[in-house]
Amino acid sequence: MNSTGQNQAKTLGNYRWGDLPDPNKWADCVHCGMCLESCPTYEQTGQEQHSPRGRVHLMKAVAEGKLEITEDFIDPIFACLDCRACTTACPADVDVGGLIEEVRWQIRQAIPLTGTKAFISKLFLQGIFPHPSRLQALGRLLKLYQKSGLQKLVRQTGLLRLFPDHLAEMEAVLPAVGEPVRKKYKHSLVKAKGETKRTVALLTGCVMDVMFSDINEATIRVLTYNGNDVVIPPTQTCCGALHVHAGDKETGKMLAKQNIEAFQDVERVVVNAAGCGCMLKEYPELFRDDPVWHEKATQFSEKVEDISKYLYDTGYERPKAELAMRITYHDACHLAHGQGIRQEPRAILASIPGVELVEMPNADRCCGSAGIYNITHPEMAQAVLQSKMENIPNEVEIISMGNPGCMLQMAIGVLKHGRNEKIVHTVQLLDWAYQKENGKEWRT
Amino acid sequence: MRKKALYTNDPHIQALAQIVGEEAILYRKEDLIAYDCDGFTVHRHLPKAVVFPKHTAEVAAVVKYCHEHDLPFLARGAGTGLSGGAIPLNGEVVISLVRMKRLISVDLENRRAVVEPGFVNLKLTNSVANRGYYYAPDPSSQYCCTIGGNVAENAGGAHCLKYGVTTNHILGLEVVLPNGEMIEIGENGILDPPGYDLLGLLTGSEGTLGIVTKITVRILKSPEAKQTVLAYFDRVNDASQTVSDIISAGIVPAALEMMDQTAIEAVEAAAFPVGHPNDIEALLLIEVDGISAGIDEQIEEILHICRTRNVREVKVAQDEQERAKWWANRKTGFGAMGAISPDYLVQDGVIPRSKLPEVLQQIQQISEKYGLRIANIFHAGDGNLHPLVLFDSEKPGETEKALAAGSECLQACAAVGGSITGEHGVGIEKKEEMRFIFTDEEITAQTNIRDVFNRKNLLNAGKLFPTPGRCVEVKRA
Repeated sequence: MNSTGQNQAKTLGNYRWGDLPDPNKWADCVHCGMCLESCPTYEQTGQEQHSPRGRVHLMKAVAEGKLEITEDFIDPIFACLDCRACTTACPADVDVGGLIEEVRWQIRQAIPLTGTKAFISKLFLQGIFPHPSRLQALGRLLKLYQKSGLQKLVRQTGLLRLFPDHLAEMEAVLPAVGEPVRKKYKHSLVKAKGETKRTVALLTGCVMDVMFSDINEATIRVLTYNGNDVVIPPTQTCCGALHVHAGDKETGKMLAKQNIEAFQDVERVVVNAAGCGCMLKEYPELFRDDPVWHEKATQFSEKVEDISKYLYDTGYERPKAELAMRITYHDACHLAHGQGIRQEPRAILASIPGVELVEMPNADRCCGSAGIYNITHPEMAQAVLQSKMENIPNEVEIISMGNPGCMLQMAIGVLKHGRNEKIVHTVQLLDWAYQKENGKEWRT
Repeated sequence: MRKKALYTNDPHIQALAQIVGEEAILYRKEDLIAYDCDGFTVHRHLPKAVVFPKHTAEVAAVVKYCHEHDLPFLARGAGTGLSGGAIPLNGEVVISLVRMKRLISVDLENRRAVVEPGFVNLKLTNSVANRGYYYAPDPSSQYCCTIGGNVAENAGGAHCLKYGVTTNHILGLEVVLPNGEMIEIGENGILDPPGYDLLGLLTGSEGTLGIVTKITVRILKSPEAKQTVLAYFDRVNDASQTVSDIISAGIVPAALEMMDQTAIEAVEAAAFPVGHPNDIEALLLIEVDGISAGIDEQIEEILHICRTRNVREVKVAQDEQERAKWWANRKTGFGAMGAISPDYLVQDGVIPRSKLPEVLQQIQQISEKYGLRIANIFHAGDGNLHPLVLFDSEKPGETEKALAAGSECLQACAAVGGSITGEHGVGIEKKEEMRFIFTDEEITAQTNIRDVFNRKNLLNAGKLFPTPGRCVEVKRA
């Protein structure tokens, strides 16, 4: 990777790779410690270098020239889940998550990944996610694996035992792969049911569309049911969140530009994955040093809205069919902490007749999924997941949430802890109610 | 997280790792930097190591080792202290107690609970709230500060006006003495046996007499009713007079808090704004609680007093949500300074209530003299001032100026018969200011007591008392 041209000459203490971290972000931190208890890694370790204020302190120490970028500095910076709970807790609004991402970029310039890690990271982050067709091909492969009997064979023969635990667990909870909506509705507009009130574009997401195309289908049904024409711009791509979290800002910017252009003719971009929505809203941060793209990114980000808030704000038809279910809601970090959306999804769930919504203690605590964190830091992810599972209220049938990463992780949790709750996206539940109301098959 | 093999030639580190385990010790520079200060950031020193004992026996073993090998050491909780009590001035071995965070027992019948020192203050209330109880001392950092740290600093809080500070809620302590010996005071939650009040001596000793490893605290029945008033004043003098009038009227509010204009600017610019007007000189946050009967009358009387003192606007919280919003705004006030200033230094003077207008005036003059803004957020009801001196440590000489301004604020408090600390402790920050209220003989009398417990002065040395004949230097951050 090459650093950006614009800032190449500039350095800040021991940050020497252009596109520098923003010193204003740590200037706001007065080291009060109000963030400590919000942080899952501090909760697990009790160690302050693994706390938000400790990380800020360390990142600042590098800028002050007191620390070099070494392996021991990298560890706490990459062990951060980037869950943003500290941003909610902070009295001074310190953007710890943003800082972490900016510093990870510096770290990857200073100490590029090597060996297997570099290969895997490059394969996924640059070789697959940015390319919808390759991702779809992977999806087809996965589908073949599931449908051909190979999955059954692998499971029966115990071949999975050769995999690391966390990968084997993930295999166990992979949903049945359906048909990506991007392919299905290519170049076409999905018309609103009845009169068209608004037109929205849907970000299909990369993993979402391959693994959870049924959620995308449900989203489209719910949107059209409520008078929205839905367009699916064909040139859209992965949002880049995983890249930016991993410190690959270059690819992040490239993907951001592609999306900004792909959606330039629409007024509204609706997103059903919290992580992606948060990233799209933060595109301007990527272009702090690039006035032209910063302006474009700002205009773009103002068009973006999460599906739950969009429905809540524009008004949606209250479902009439009854879903007699006890449901609890998990706040995806990038919805609650990242976008401040907490009440809207709950209101949607509560508006479904028959639904009994039970609050989960510490509902806005990270589940440990955190993008690819459950792959890069399996032990910590498991510990965080364990705390999450302990908080699930008794006798709920469904755990609802608005993010695919959380859905996979929570499904692993349910399986691992011998529980039997179903993991369902918020918008899917609304879709079920509409389907039932119209006498269709409603539960998948 | 990366597993790190122990790689050091330092025999002390190796020995300490033997005691607590390799996963419970930090000794690399990168890991230690986060421990070079606490909530008081003016002084920074790297510790030799940080250890994370899991139980009392490990604490005792670490202390014994340090005692035998003449290694300085100190205890640390969440590190939210505001006077530097947990800063390793002498390259101490920091004994972090945050992994000792169990709620050991709750005894509702006798209204007490036993906790480990790393247990977070607010979690105690959260654990008993559904049964109608709570833990009264509520420092603003209660979301994250530990009860062990509260004991060390004898922490206060907004509601201490009516309910008293930490020392009024401690029934028993298990303490590891500086030589590694373990003692219990006030066993079974029965208050001090006859003889000297050791609980009183230990509580607020700022970690210089021993390390608390188990605490028995009092828990209280939650008040039946609670009402909260917010009052905006055009003139700070009117607000000060209102405070005096409320107390003179015989009302004992649970809390009586004041914020001045600069403080309001900060909290409104920060994460928990309420929508306070920006052109008032002061606001009061007043809470009364107790049995339902009579609460409305008290509120009426408070509203009446506010109006007599030319209040611009006064309102009663309509529901728990509104009340919580007002309190979140108040309780995050210190951290909110980050929104308007890169650094701040908070002072903690106490004055007789009647001197409030006079001292606030003097603080204003000190602010002008040094050219530094000073915000005031404080417990007006018990005369516990918190002038927050705003500065930028990046600017040469400004840290020194801020320290001098803070010191002058304390001098003003002492001059009217007050004290230099109400609840934050002396630590490093105010040790020279001890001379404002104590003579050399009085200070020596106190250090003699310390020497009985802490004979080698290895435990948290250089805190609480002024160093004879030496001025504190500011180490540039």
